[in-house]
Amino acid sequence: MKGMTVIVKTISSWVKILIFIFGIYIILFGHLSPGGGFPGGVILASSFILLMLAFSRQEAEKYFPLSVASKFDCIGALLFILLALMGLGFGINAFFWNFLQQEYLAAHETVLKLISAGSIPLYNIFIGLKVCASLFLVIVVLSMTRPELPSEQEQHLEE
Amino acid sequence: MIYALCFLLFMIGLYCTVVKKNMVKIVLGILVMEYAVNLFLILLGFRTKGVAPIIDRHALEGGQLTELFVNTSVDPLPQALVLTAIVISLGSLALIISVCIRIYNKYGTFDITQIRRLKG
Repeated sequence: MKGMTVIVKTISSWVKILIFIFGIYIILFGHLSPGGGFPGGVILASSFILLMLAFSRQEAEKYFPLSVASKFDCIGALLFILLALMGLGFGINAFFWNFLQQEYLAAHETVLKLISAGSIPLYNIFIGLKVCASLFLVIVVLSMTRPELPSEQEQHLEE
Repeated sequence: MIYALCFLLFMIGLYCTVVKKNMVKIVLGILVMEYAVNLFLILLGFRTKGVAPIIDRHALEGGQLTELFVNTSVDPLPQALVLTAIVISLGSLALIISVCIRIYNKYGTFDITQIRRLKG
């Protein structure tokens, strides 16, 4: 039997959704409460790693294939740099300038709300995406280097 | 006094890195040294009887936000830098562990005294 016992599989299939939502909360509210891109990305990755530990690596790859993970990795980094370069085109021509706050949001009263502080929540989302994909790729690739046990080779022959 | 305890933790990590023969224990010594340095950097920004550097609705409506924040909160700048340092140490830990796994695949042992000649 691949993976862990029935109790662990049942509970982890419920808990992984809660961990995923918690990670998204930490990313989205990073400019209001402690958190942000880095810790939120780690929590998101840990929900997929829980899936990999409780079931097998093949189950986790069905949910989050490696090609999709590497594409998210690159897309997160590219969008981050794109948003930083867009600061060069508005107002003060400065790299990483918070143009969304200064140009569009400064007229409204948005302090301590979810949509505030301009492009900082967007930076958090892109960094969270990249960190999640990177950590998931690291742990899955590290687990691939384990030589197969004879019991797993028999299962491959049976399948 | 508390900085001396951070130094003691660093020395424990250094002992593990230098003396131990198992490769995984050497990696754990490197990790303990990184924890000690991060802890030291956060403690540098501490202020006795200080509050967390978070602005919420009560502080916003109280008035005199800047003086209250500057006079009573702990320093948030070392915390932001240490967050980045923790993520960097996570990346370097992944690299070190993959090197350990590779050496185990080639030599069959984690003992550094058995790894004498270059193989593979």
